[in-house]
Order: sequence, then structure tokens, then C-alpha cells
Amino acid sequence: MSWIPARAEGANDFERSFGLRPNLFAAWRDFAARLWATEELDPTVLELCRRRIGQLHGATCPLPPGIAAPPLAERKAAELSAWWRSDAYGETERACLRFAEQFALEARGIGDGEAAAVTGALGDAGTVAFVEALAIFDGFARFARILDAGDGA
Amino acid sequence: MIAARVKSPPTQSADPIQASPLAWQPALLASFLRLYGTLWSHGELDQATKELARIRNARTVDCPICKAIRFSGARREGLTEEIVAEIRDGYAQSGLSPRQKAVLRYTDVFLSAPGELSDELKRELLVHLSPGELVELTAALGLFMGFSKIAVALGGLPDEIPVHEQPTPDLPPPSPA
Repeated sequence: MSWIPARAEGANDFERSFGLRPNLFAAWRDFAARLWATEELDPTVLELCRRRIGQLHGATCPLPPGIAAPPLAERKAAELSAWWRSDAYGETERACLRFAEQFALEARGIGDGEAAAVTGALGDAGTVAFVEALAIFDGFARFARILDAGDGA
Repeated sequence: MIAARVKSPPTQSADPIQASPLAWQPALLASFLRLYGTLWSHGELDQATKELARIRNARTVDCPICKAIRFSGARREGLTEEIVAEIRDGYAQSGLSPRQKAVLRYTDVFLSAPGELSDELKRELLVHLSPGELVELTAALGLFMGFSKIAVALGGLPDEIPVHEQPTPDLPPPSPA
């Protein structure tokens, strides 16, 4: 339960905390939901990166209300914490996971080769949507962690 | 300088954001501008406090464009360059107020180890900020950090950009029907 001594209405701690700033939460929900509707991005890749960044922070960025997490193959879900040792992931998934980890830990450390692997797979428009998704996954995993305000998933 | 990883789409726009790689995703960009405008101009937390956290983030992430920008609303609220100069390592010994120092400590924990917020800092934050202000500050940090990292990850920025003032983000005008 969040340490903030106030609650808005909501289905979980994330919504009850962010809901204390209702117009900001509404604008965030709109932006976050659009990320999942971007035609250039494979929802499975997004979900893998959302969960992996969550593993790094000890809290996962909640999905906006109305967006369901795409199902992951059992092995992809189970082996995500050591994805680099697994053969369960395709080339694009590996490139995106490598980039996502570096983005979350130290964006300055993203190498040209790591970036080229992503832009080669996603194209310019897809890469822009991808980094915007990473920004939300990273920023709001931290939000959930520091406020103890996750979605309970 | 990190080489540009993504080129900008063809455009006639003189607006630096509309002429940036972010314009590859116009619907996302429009939604982000509404989000950012809401944060800055329709919030509970004062703009000078948000700017303090934004600049601390910019220096930590090392985003040249974020470090160079000063939003006019925060300037009007008294965030001078003398205060900005105090937002550096060692700010704990600076002349900043206890509230400003608490916000900077919180920013540092958010950026470095968000699972390690101390009970003492929680108590101090709740002395200085209402619950709504604290949520807004935390969401602001998520956006500041995320979008600084986008700028760094996409590359193409010079190493140094002169400090300059910009209008405080606000809700964009509605699109023509």
C-alpha cells in the first residue's frame, strides 16, 4: 500500500495514487493507451520490454485502464530475467530487449550498434514509438516503486 | 555528440518539435503535448519546483537540450540562475530551502534507486508537499526522465546548447476540424 496518506477512487494503488491528480492521470492514460495501438510496434515486443524493465526496477509500469497485456508464450515469460541466455526470443525481440535494458539503466550507454539493430528492425517511425514506450515503462515503473503504488499485477 | 539514430520526417514546419523525429508519430506527439501541457500549466505543484526537479534530472541524464531550457513560468516564480546554479552535487550544503533540498533528494532517489526511499525522506516530503503535489512531482519526474532519455537515445544533439528561455508548455490549441 502506498505511503501517501490520501486515496482517490481506483481499482488498485496505482490508480488510487495517480488519481489524486485526475486531469494529469487522464492525459497520461490517453498517451499510454496510444502506445499500444501504434501499428509499427508488435505488442509482444512491448510487453516483453515492459516486464523486463519492471524486473530491473522491482515494479512494473501499470497498463492504462482498458488495455490488456498481450499473452506471452510460456518460455518467453519464464526466461525473461535471463533472456540473453535463452533461444526463446527472435532477433527483433533480442535487439529491443537489449536496447530497453540500456535505456532504463543508462541511456547514454546505448551504443550505435544497439541502436542500429532497433532502427533496422522497426524503422524510423517504429523506433520513435518504441522509445516513447520505453520512456513510459521506465518512468512509471519508478513511479510505482517509489510510491509503493503498483497495480497489483 | 551522439550521431542521429533516426532522421526527421520531411516537413515545412519551423517548430523544432514538429520538425523533430517525434513527428514520425503525430498522434502520439499530440497526446504527449497535451500531457506535458497539463503537467506544466494545469497542475497543483508550483512551476518553480517542477523546474528544479527537471533541471536536476537533465543534469543527471546529461541531456543537452533539457539542460539548456528554462521555462518562463518558473522564472516568473523566482527560479533564478543563481538558484539553478545550486542544483549541483553538494546542494545539501547550499543555500537552497529545506523544501527545495527535499525535492532534489527525492529526484535523486527516483533517478538512481527508486526502491530505496527512506522513511525519513518520506516524512520530510509530506511536511513540504500535499499528497496531490507529491503525486504530480513523481509523475513529472517520470516524464522528465523518460523524455530526456529519448533525446539522448535518438542522438543528433550537440554537446552544448546555450541556456535559453522558452514559454511554459500549455495545452496545444485544438486541431482545426
